[in-house]
Amino acid sequence: MQSSKKHSYRLSRKKSEILVGYGFISIPMALFLFLSVGIFFYAIYISTYDWGLIGPTENVGLDNYRRALSDPIFLKAIRNSLKYALLVVPIQSALGLFLALLVNSKIKGSKFFRSAFYFPSIASSAAITTLFIFLMAPDGVFNGMLKFFGVDVANLFNQGAWLSDSRTALYSIIGLNAWTTSGTMMLFYLANLQTVDSQYREAAITDGASRRQVFWYITMPLLKPAHFFVVTTGMIGALQLYDQAILAGGADGSPDYSLMTMVLYIYNACFRKFEFGYASAIGVILFVIIFSLTILQKFIFGSSAWRGEN
Amino acid sequence: MTRFRKYMFYSMLIFYSVITVVPFIWSVSTSIKPSDEVYQSNLIPENPTAKAYATVFGKIQPNFQTLFANSLFIACVVVVLHLIFAALAGYAFARLRFPGRDALFFVVLGCMMVPDQLRLVPMYQLLVKMELINTGPTNYLAIFLVKAISAADVFLMRQYFLTIPKELEDAAKIDGAGPFQLFSKIMLPNAAPVLATIAIMTFQGTWNDLFWPSIVLQSPNHWTLPFGILQFKGQFSTDWPPIMALVVLSTIPILALYTFGQRYIINVQLASSVKG
Repeated sequence: MQSSKKHSYRLSRKKSEILVGYGFISIPMALFLFLSVGIFFYAIYISTYDWGLIGPTENVGLDNYRRALSDPIFLKAIRNSLKYALLVVPIQSALGLFLALLVNSKIKGSKFFRSAFYFPSIASSAAITTLFIFLMAPDGVFNGMLKFFGVDVANLFNQGAWLSDSRTALYSIIGLNAWTTSGTMMLFYLANLQTVDSQYREAAITDGASRRQVFWYITMPLLKPAHFFVVTTGMIGALQLYDQAILAGGADGSPDYSLMTMVLYIYNACFRKFEFGYASAIGVILFVIIFSLTILQKFIFGSSAWRGEN
Repeated sequence: MTRFRKYMFYSMLIFYSVITVVPFIWSVSTSIKPSDEVYQSNLIPENPTAKAYATVFGKIQPNFQTLFANSLFIACVVVVLHLIFAALAGYAFARLRFPGRDALFFVVLGCMMVPDQLRLVPMYQLLVKMELINTGPTNYLAIFLVKAISAADVFLMRQYFLTIPKELEDAAKIDGAGPFQLFSKIMLPNAAPVLATIAIMTFQGTWNDLFWPSIVLQSPNHWTLPFGILQFKGQFSTDWPPIMALVVLSTIPILALYTFGQRYIINVQLASSVKG
């Protein structure tokens, strides 16, 4: 008697768990299927059409992709995005690690310095980039400082026009974003540093290891989860460069397409030329690049970093 | 630490703090300078003026109040949506057993791989078909739909629920609490720190976002602060004080949020980088 009662109680409990489970995930899953999964396949579908303001006119197969890969401006956009990512990711990661090590040591005021270093990461990219453009203007504060230190700005190769000279525009944006993102990277490293057991370091020091050896052979390997996270998120973010490029160079990525990025190119194809099929094809190419780089990093860092273990 | 090392150490710390903080002080200074002082290298203006603030509060269209209200409205709605959906789905994936759970969770993980830029064209087409790309109030729905849910938040929430000890629930189960009561009475109150983390990070992300507003929002009356800065930077190309006033005013709320919620921001880094 008693056992069957218990049994039916368990059954109804199991049933209600299933019901509540489906109830709880119904709206979130519907949104995911609609806003991410469905949209993903819709993007691929659109990319195979000649699709203008009036909608799809004819299926063109892979023509949009062929056209993209033969457009010199798109190839320039890919080169710019890759160049930007390959330079900004190591700089912001190394700077983030350096700052984390600085503020992680037991010193007076480490809390203040941590807040100060994170400060540029909290403001909007629109605000920061606008401020940066002002500071870097030919007669702006940055050149004023260079003059103060005796640099002859007027006779520099770019006459101090950092953002309006095609040779320095992209590098200036790299500097800007290394500065704004290093605070976030610092926090990732700090979080990881705080989980690293100090007994490994102490044991190594007892065994006579130098500071440098401790850093390279103990601390760096233990920070593998943070390295992986910082490089992967940094790379994905870098390949999506848009805000800073459109603010500093306008929709054309001026001067001379030096700030034209893949995302800015999609924006142009979409909202200035209204070539939605073509724009969608570029989106798919961007996705493939990001996806393959993420997988590649997974292999470089090994599968343990993927799961966040040491 | 030797004396020399200590000096080196502090000079590096102070040097980098100057690099991170002084530009912002400069933006405040520029916003209260008269036009003829803008390019002078003095940090303290000789003739400070609030003219730029009068301009952004009154003369520009849309004015600061409108931009601020839009940013606040959009950010708050998106925060509420993210919290509700992340809590519901996170709990179901962490604690409830139902057929197909793991497969569905795998789909959620896959959604994290779809970048916004791939979603741009199909999403825009869809919003046009739904007649949400317009200058009326339903235009807000377009941005809410685009940003309705975040796979990363669902993931973070699930990971957090997994760390809450099962014993907490067991006691309530013996008292006859069903899955819904367990969720609302036991799990949610215990998840307050991660809910705060999601709220702060989502607010900051939405408040600062330029990409979707610049694509979806049609009427100047709907612009957000970052979109407004982009537009006015084009209009006032050489008149810096009003632009700097907008930069300053748009950063203050996020600075206040950061000061108030600092420990939750550190929290999310731990949760996502180490446990992730």
